[in-house]
Amino acid sequence: MTADSSLQFPLLSLLLWLPILGALLCLLWYKAPAASRWIALGTSTAVFVLSLVAGLYSTGSAGWFLYEDASWIEHFGIRYTLGMDGISLLLIILTAFLQLVAVVISWDQDKFSALFFALILVLGTGIMGVFLALDLILFYLFWELMLIPMFFLIGVWGYKRKVYAAVKFFLFTLAGSLCLLLAVISLHLLHGEQTGVYTFALEALQQTRLSFSQEMLFYLCFMAAFAVKVPIFPFHSWLPDAHTEAPVAASVDLAGLLLKTGVYGMIRFAFPLFPHAAEKSLPVLAVLALIGLFYAAWIAYLQTDIKRIVAYSSISHLGFVLLGLAAWNQTAWEGSLLLMINHGVTTGALFIAIALIHKRTGTREIAKLGGIWKSQPNLAAFFLLFSLASLGLPGLANFSGEILILIGTFSSNAVWAIFAVGGVLFSAAYILRMVQGTIWGPCCEPFDKQDLGGREWLVLIPLAVLVVILGCYPQPLLDSLREPVSFMLRQGGQP
Amino acid sequence: MSFAALQSLLPQLILALGATAVLMFGAWIPKRRLWLTVGLLLALSAALVAGLMEAPLAEVGGMYATTLYARFCTVVWSLTIAATLLISFRYADLHRFGGGEYTSLLLFAAAGMSLLSAATSLIGLFLGLEAFTLVLYILIAFNRTDDRGAEAGLKYLVFGAVATGFLAFGIALIYAASGSFHFQEALAGIQIEGALRPIGLAGWAMLLVAVGFKISLVPFHLWTPDVYQGAPAPISGVLATAAKGAVLTAFLPLLTMLGESGAEIKNVLWLLAIITMLVGTFAALPQTNLKRMLAYSSVVHMGYLLIALLVGGSDGGQALLFYLVIYSFATFGAFGVVTSFATEHEELQEYEDLRGLGYLHPRRSIVLAAFMLSLAGIPPLAGFFAKFGLFQAALRNGYAGLAIIGVFASLVSVYYYLRPIIVLFMQERSAYQLHPGSKSEYLLLAGCFVAILALGIYPEPLLNLVVLVLP
Repeated sequence: MTADSSLQFPLLSLLLWLPILGALLCLLWYKAPAASRWIALGTSTAVFVLSLVAGLYSTGSAGWFLYEDASWIEHFGIRYTLGMDGISLLLIILTAFLQLVAVVISWDQDKFSALFFALILVLGTGIMGVFLALDLILFYLFWELMLIPMFFLIGVWGYKRKVYAAVKFFLFTLAGSLCLLLAVISLHLLHGEQTGVYTFALEALQQTRLSFSQEMLFYLCFMAAFAVKVPIFPFHSWLPDAHTEAPVAASVDLAGLLLKTGVYGMIRFAFPLFPHAAEKSLPVLAVLALIGLFYAAWIAYLQTDIKRIVAYSSISHLGFVLLGLAAWNQTAWEGSLLLMINHGVTTGALFIAIALIHKRTGTREIAKLGGIWKSQPNLAAFFLLFSLASLGLPGLANFSGEILILIGTFSSNAVWAIFAVGGVLFSAAYILRMVQGTIWGPCCEPFDKQDLGGREWLVLIPLAVLVVILGCYPQPLLDSLREPVSFMLRQGGQP
Repeated sequence: MSFAALQSLLPQLILALGATAVLMFGAWIPKRRLWLTVGLLLALSAALVAGLMEAPLAEVGGMYATTLYARFCTVVWSLTIAATLLISFRYADLHRFGGGEYTSLLLFAAAGMSLLSAATSLIGLFLGLEAFTLVLYILIAFNRTDDRGAEAGLKYLVFGAVATGFLAFGIALIYAASGSFHFQEALAGIQIEGALRPIGLAGWAMLLVAVGFKISLVPFHLWTPDVYQGAPAPISGVLATAAKGAVLTAFLPLLTMLGESGAEIKNVLWLLAIITMLVGTFAALPQTNLKRMLAYSSVVHMGYLLIALLVGGSDGGQALLFYLVIYSFATFGAFGVVTSFATEHEELQEYEDLRGLGYLHPRRSIVLAAFMLSLAGIPPLAGFFAKFGLFQAALRNGYAGLAIIGVFASLVSVYYYLRPIIVLFMQERSAYQLHPGSKSEYLLLAGCFVAILALGIYPEPLLNLVVLVLP
């Protein structure tokens, strides 16, 4: 791509490895919890600034505006290749932002805080690596790097059934990833046999000649990994447990970022590598997306734990995202990617609001909650705002993505779109039930009557502002997405 | 024996003569730490000599090779024994081991293992194998006050003796058919028109049984958990790593030389690999004792290594050595942590006793967690690239079925490798404060940990070394 990549300042590497450095520093000062907090804050602020700086390089056209390539493990043909285009840029900024939020919201984490912050930072590296890697094994390494920190975050700092949730998360994800690994190695060997060049580079592997059945097999293996992470309907059962049992920072990262890596993997790797198989699979994908959308919404309606409601709402929203992908046109794809960003912000914000409610009332059960509006009006207002955004209220974040998806889907398959509109209704039902049960109604006795504190304002205000901006003026994001998306759609060679 | 021959065998001579000297002087000067240190230095110097000094002869007495491959193995086994001595400093004090005897036995084991993997004749193979198993019988039961150790020693003795019988019988059959003990001639002698003669096949079958016992393949694995559990933890570490590695590395050239005519043997190995991986995996799942779990884990890993053995050639050989080294770091490290957690009366090995220990002894617990994750093959730890190389070699050479079963086994394995981690970090505390651990233990554990981490991020140096050894 860019010939003078070696001369460039290695901004992407800096983005990736700064959190690891921060994590090491945290562990070095493990005896002083305050130090690790500040280190984590400093690191994630720096990463956030860097991610914005990376945005300055953006050209708006397709292709990598930042690119790094170095030899790494020659024996296996693995290279260290990173690239950033409009899509990864947005996801990186989202990651950096939510990481910052996660650090601030965990400020009074006092159980092994050094280890906690170190793990949060390492998780950040894993997620950003997934969004940047262009070598399949490098991608796989970052993909797995997300696993260990999350396992510990849930297992050590989680709630009641933490061990169960952590192990389930680990096994589900790993099962998918191992399929991916087998497919990657086989693809690599096939490519090597055809061309004599053994490589894992995405661009080279796209040129591999595959029979349709081979393509389908590999595609299914890739999708197994991504479908678990998204999660697509029958593979979703790890998600409610993991989200519910995780500490708030991990929930933010899980819902806001980890789920997006699955979708990103599809559009960056699975679709371009196996376009014919992808084409055949679109109707199935759409049906699964619709099932997920309705099923999760229905289950969400029946939940009594508000955190679980939001967890299921994630599955439902990701069903929407997936439907947009299956519609396979510019508008729908832009909508899907936009909804991913929006959902990251709103759901992250919702989890934070729920954690704050939980901290004050000691419960997350709808039956025991109520009347927050009276006792903590500010907190309740934020909670209401984020809930309405999640519901898809026009002018707030999720709506802009959803409407684009609906428009796009309508033009390629009206029936899917009609069903999907019904899904929006469903989400209104469970969100309103949650809001009603929590904010209004008879007052529960919170043992902490304190409304929002300084640090909580600091976290919630930017989130709220973002939710409004993303809802009213998503244009800059769409500009960044347009060219890369149309390039990818053309590459797939689809209708 | 000429001077050149002696010079070629210098590393083994250092180990064997050093062991004899330590044994003799150890009887007069009962200073435990002194002899452990001397042994450590001897093992290290043997490794240095093997690594740096060129041998004047390619083969000594028609029995032992001095190829790069043999030298590489010598270095690895010597270093393993050095590591065992290093980790034993506090442990030996705790259990009042006789320093001289303990050290000299371990050095003898190193000599035996190094001879075994250098063997080029069946007699050489037999001598090397017996030299170190004999020593291990004693070392397993070294703690005289421990009934479990005595039981383990006896168990290993009985099974080992049977295996030796099979080995001797197999060698006899092959010799009867070919009239030679030397690998190449013996293997040529038992073939006819590119296939094995019946008597040769019978001989190989006996060999396989013997090897199966030694590296605990299913269904010859039954002794493994009991022996690992009963043996002193450092010795279990040797049993799980070098003792198995030496047998595998001796067997690799033998199988490679057999080439195409070994189709029947390969079929049997194929089957053994599958049942070893699967049975080992499912037997490991319900374990609640760290050492027993590690025993079954070693069984499973031997199954993986059988895949490399089957692939053969330079592909398989490289994958095997690479895997073996990384596996040894992690497994030995895990037994090192068990050693370090040992108290005067017992070794902490039941999960029940380890609960919440991560909070009391975070450093050693984190290191143990890293070893577990490496064994499970989770990146960014070295175990990932070990498995990656292995499965890649398998897929490249048409063993896709084995690779898929291997991947399945490593998926299931995650569950039993996570259990100790869960117990250490995610359960309510039941453990009590232990000994803070000695410097030598920390040195070794840190070494293994750094190796696992560094090779996980940049495995290229080890890969290059392996390619150099087995072009």
